[in-house]
Amino acid sequence: MRTGQIKAITSHLPAAVLTSDALAELYPGWTAEKIVEKTGVRERRIAAADETATDLGEAAARKLIDETGVDPATIDFLIFCTQTPDYPLPGNANLLHHRLGLRRECGSFDYAIGCAGYVYGLALVEGLIASGSAERVLLITCDTYSKLIHPMDRSVRTLFGDAATATLIEADDQSERTLGPFIFGTDGAGAKNLIVPVGGARAPRPLVAAEPEADRFGNMRGPENLFMDGAEVLAFALKTVPAAAAQLMARTGRGMDDYDLVVLHQASALLLDRLQRKLGVDDDRFVRRLEYCGNTVSSTIPLALEPYAPPSGQPRRCLLIGFGVGYSWAAGEILI
Amino acid sequence: MDAFYIGLAEIFEVDVAEIGPDFDLPSHNWDSLAVVSVIALGDECFQKLFDGAALAKCKTVADIELLMSRAEAA
Repeated sequence: MRTGQIKAITSHLPAAVLTSDALAELYPGWTAEKIVEKTGVRERRIAAADETATDLGEAAARKLIDETGVDPATIDFLIFCTQTPDYPLPGNANLLHHRLGLRRECGSFDYAIGCAGYVYGLALVEGLIASGSAERVLLITCDTYSKLIHPMDRSVRTLFGDAATATLIEADDQSERTLGPFIFGTDGAGAKNLIVPVGGARAPRPLVAAEPEADRFGNMRGPENLFMDGAEVLAFALKTVPAAAAQLMARTGRGMDDYDLVVLHQASALLLDRLQRKLGVDDDRFVRRLEYCGNTVSSTIPLALEPYAPPSGQPRRCLLIGFGVGYSWAAGEILI
Repeated sequence: MDAFYIGLAEIFEVDVAEIGPDFDLPSHNWDSLAVVSVIALGDECFQKLFDGAALAKCKTVADIELLMSRAEAA
């Protein structure tokens, strides 16, 4: 059957480093050890003021082109996952298409999903390839949540970092599907729990920014900043992720022990610890990569997969689950 | 309940002997990190998910225990 195969994954992290030691100096009562223990994040990378998702995505894409030697002229689709685009319009995919010098016959578009974005993206790519609409696809993920976070909101600043990834997927004829199957879910009732309330058409950004206010825990933020109700989001994930894994395995007929790697959205160490135990996955197969980059939203899963991507080692069967803002979630099985 | 109290003692960084129904939360770093930690602990010990907003308003361990009795199964 015609299916997509991941040929390479690369990443690019911005240069600036924000350590837990530096954050602990800002937030009374929180030590660096406590931040690292609960979040699992020792360092986050932060985009510069003039550095956007397109810039970071371009760096990841150029690294992929350099490392694989792929001819950009042979790429026939570019997909860019971001919730922090350079402009309201046009999309980052169009900007990056031009920067990379891709051909006019190459399709491109943005989509905004967040933490479930990579799994959604792989499903979109598989659809394009299986339908014969594309042969070689470049999937970019990049979110720069640091630009949305108030510096004195420790509930989110300790978690999130900026990053970009690039994944090259090529059409191949295989005896079994190597991208998929996938399952998806949505619960828009959770939209209010992870949101930037101001800046879109519903509530345009005012000429003068509103004064930030402290919440019950002393975290500062204004309506143009990222708000996360961590308790509600954690409860959502604890309930949803095991169910999504069960739904996917019912589809594939496999059990958790059949997967060489289990890669979840790298939300926080606290959540990953709990989900690992609920799913019953041993340490050797439960992939973690957030200590030196933080929760990078749509880029967490490809960052975690990067060390296992071709040309490294034998093909591995992986279970992927992305979940978060929306609420939205997606699970998928891939061979990489 | 022992495991839950041990977990609470770790979250609030106190001796487990200090944990009891009257344990005062606001005077022990009852912040956003502690709230999410208690949600994870409730899931681990009782397979129940607390209502996050209600949990954040708890003042004592007794309040948490009352909330737990009404919590949804995970």
